[in-house]
Amino acid sequence: MSKRKFRLANEISTGSNVVLNIIFVLISIVCLFPILLVIAISFTEEKQILLHGYNIIPREFSIKAYDFVLSAGDAIMRSYGISILVTILGTILSMSVITLYAYPLARSSFRYKNFFSFFVFFTMIFGGGLVPWFMVYSQLVRIRDTIWIMIVPYLINGFYVMIMRTFIKGSVPEALMESAKIDGAGEFRTFFSIVLPLLKPGLATIGLLSCLGYWNDWYLPLVFVTKRELFNIQYTMYQTLSSIQFLTSGSANFAELGKVLSDLPGESARMAIAVISIGPIIFAYGFFQKYFIKGLTIGAVKG
Amino acid sequence: MKLNRKLLTRVFAVVLCLVFVLAGCGKETQPTSSETPSSTTPSSTEPSQSATPAAALDPVTLTFYCVGDSQDMSGIEKGVNEYLKDTLNITLEYECFGWGDTYTPKINPMLAAGDPIDIVFTSNWAANFRSNATAGYFTVLNDYIKKYPGVEQVLGSDFLNATQIDGKNYAVPTNKEKAHNWGFLLKKDLVAKYNIDLNSIKSLQDLEPYFDRVLAEEPGMTPLLSVQMDGPWHLLDWNTFSDDDVPGALYPDNRDTKVINQFLAPESVALYKQQREYYKKGYLHPDAATQDNFSAEMSTGKYFAFVAPMKPGKAVEMTQQTGVEWEEIFITPIVMSNREADGAMLAIPVGSKNPERAFMFIEKLYTDAKLKNLMNFGVEGVHYKWSDDKNYIIPIEESGYKTSGGWRFGDNFKDYLTVGEALDKAQQWEKYNASATPLLNLGFVFDATNVASEVAACKDVVQTYYKQLFTGSVDVDPTLARMEADFKAAGVDTLLQEIQTQFDAWLASKK
Repeated sequence: MSKRKFRLANEISTGSNVVLNIIFVLISIVCLFPILLVIAISFTEEKQILLHGYNIIPREFSIKAYDFVLSAGDAIMRSYGISILVTILGTILSMSVITLYAYPLARSSFRYKNFFSFFVFFTMIFGGGLVPWFMVYSQLVRIRDTIWIMIVPYLINGFYVMIMRTFIKGSVPEALMESAKIDGAGEFRTFFSIVLPLLKPGLATIGLLSCLGYWNDWYLPLVFVTKRELFNIQYTMYQTLSSIQFLTSGSANFAELGKVLSDLPGESARMAIAVISIGPIIFAYGFFQKYFIKGLTIGAVKG
Repeated sequence: MKLNRKLLTRVFAVVLCLVFVLAGCGKETQPTSSETPSSTTPSSTEPSQSATPAAALDPVTLTFYCVGDSQDMSGIEKGVNEYLKDTLNITLEYECFGWGDTYTPKINPMLAAGDPIDIVFTSNWAANFRSNATAGYFTVLNDYIKKYPGVEQVLGSDFLNATQIDGKNYAVPTNKEKAHNWGFLLKKDLVAKYNIDLNSIKSLQDLEPYFDRVLAEEPGMTPLLSVQMDGPWHLLDWNTFSDDDVPGALYPDNRDTKVINQFLAPESVALYKQQREYYKKGYLHPDAATQDNFSAEMSTGKYFAFVAPMKPGKAVEMTQQTGVEWEEIFITPIVMSNREADGAMLAIPVGSKNPERAFMFIEKLYTDAKLKNLMNFGVEGVHYKWSDDKNYIIPIEESGYKTSGGWRFGDNFKDYLTVGEALDKAQQWEKYNASATPLLNLGFVFDATNVASEVAACKDVVQTYYKQLFTGSVDVDPTLARMEADFKAAGVDTLLQEIQTQFDAWLASKK
């Protein structure tokens, strides 16, 4: 009763609160269920899956799948390490490059900003195609089969530059930079002491996006990396899963198909790989979320 | 403000730390990165090699990329390098990149960019042999084949010629089965229990009484396994011109040269109807349309019969694979088709710096049993050991290396036997290969460039309908009517006409 008295003006009624909560609980379940199912399958005895299909509660609990995955030992751990290294390095580097590129574009005093804006915008629409792209990294910038090949191609992204430029324009008033200049700050000091602290929500957005981009990438290793010790976790998983898909699609019809098929990891092992590859990246959401939401609300209030 | 400064300092600290880490990494990775481009140039990468006096040939590095799941090839590379030190004098760089789906997108750009790779695996299902060859990415091997006759001696010129494009050899096929036929695998314990005379089984109908007995007497068992195209469909053995899911085929008995749509042929329709009956009677699994791994299904031991590609020793092989005992029955005639010729080949990309040396290595895979087995099974004592009677080899599980199959390169018949294989396997194979009838279109290559969109559209149609029809999961007539209409819309007539035109021209040129 007393609660009712103190109800705030923008608080919603208990009834609609319950309804809304139920709706969101349902949505959460829809999102979480598949993940739980994957985890459950990864702990199910292989034969049971073949005989009874997928069950959310394993009919026969087994950690054989993880044994199998971890018995590949080194390979998985190594690729895990590669992924983490590439993600951390790549995110920091690409955030720096993108911010440093976007900042001058946001300054109205920069004479060539139209040219450089167009320059980066152009890459969003036109690409060179696979083979020329491949040749750049195999003949011009020879970083194939090094860790850099998984970082450099994604360092700058036209779309992220545009986001960042817009964000700087919106959240750092030109007057602020001018006043810094009047107070005697040079360009570097203005950028690092005045502008950068205001960009945290923007950086968080770009950071999260490129962090996910780096972690989830399997394409660069697929195309460029031939050294097994440089495969990242996503590619290791991709290679396993797509091999299975290819071999079971019916379009691969060679005589020894049966022999190859029987050597493939089973259903539960595949799920175990999937669970492992989700890995630390889910924590990235938590880390960036703080700023992410802040960025959204700040934008909203300021209009 | 204070907080911000603190944060900034921290960020700087982190960045600085990373810069140092990076610098460390850079130093570490640099040697490998500078090694890669130079690795294919003829320079000695191992000091021990340059120290070897008077080797007949200059030391070179050969890169060999193959399909397969094998890992940790370093032991094999070392073994091969040592074994060939006094003859070919190579440093081998050998790597496997999964099967078609991951191998192809990795290899194709390298080929297109003219990377200095020396040997690649190619076939009709991985690294698109036909298109890469016609694009000029592979070295023409005719001269080498003449100069180093080992390959042709092992393969026979007929089979080698079947892989030619316009008279040019762009790759050499593995010497393995040169023919195929289809038949049944029956679960051994039930064959014994029902006292089935294997010679009396000539068709699917002959099995029906036993299917009924399975249903009646073996609860939980499904009489017939049919997974995707691996099922009774294969008993028709259409002589296809392209992938299995592309319309365009001849009758497999060489009766005429008219290209037809095998998915609408009367024999196929009869099969769909028969399967529908089977489905209703419970001969087929209710979920048959969505199953995708026949090997896994077979190993459950819940199926009585399966239609499989046959070859000598098939039942033994499947028994090994699935852990369930099988009996084999040959049904369709043995035929020699493009499927076998293009199934597994080695090519030398034009980027190779040492094509001749690469070919010499390839030749050795056909003529040198020790090298062939080294490449396939690894080093004796490290990757495998001999059984007590010295007839078979036993892979060593903990070695970290597992072969992905000896059929991928060289002479498959030189492979050591693994436990359970027949001791006279090679002789059985020769007999099998010799008994094969060549199909009319053996050696003919359909060039799909002009009708690429029709091929893709027709593939879609087949993929949409075949699983339901092959497993009898739907009523035949309405589905067939829809499939026929979709085929028309997809341009199947244009496709068939194009195949016919090309095939007729090829036939005429052969005379």
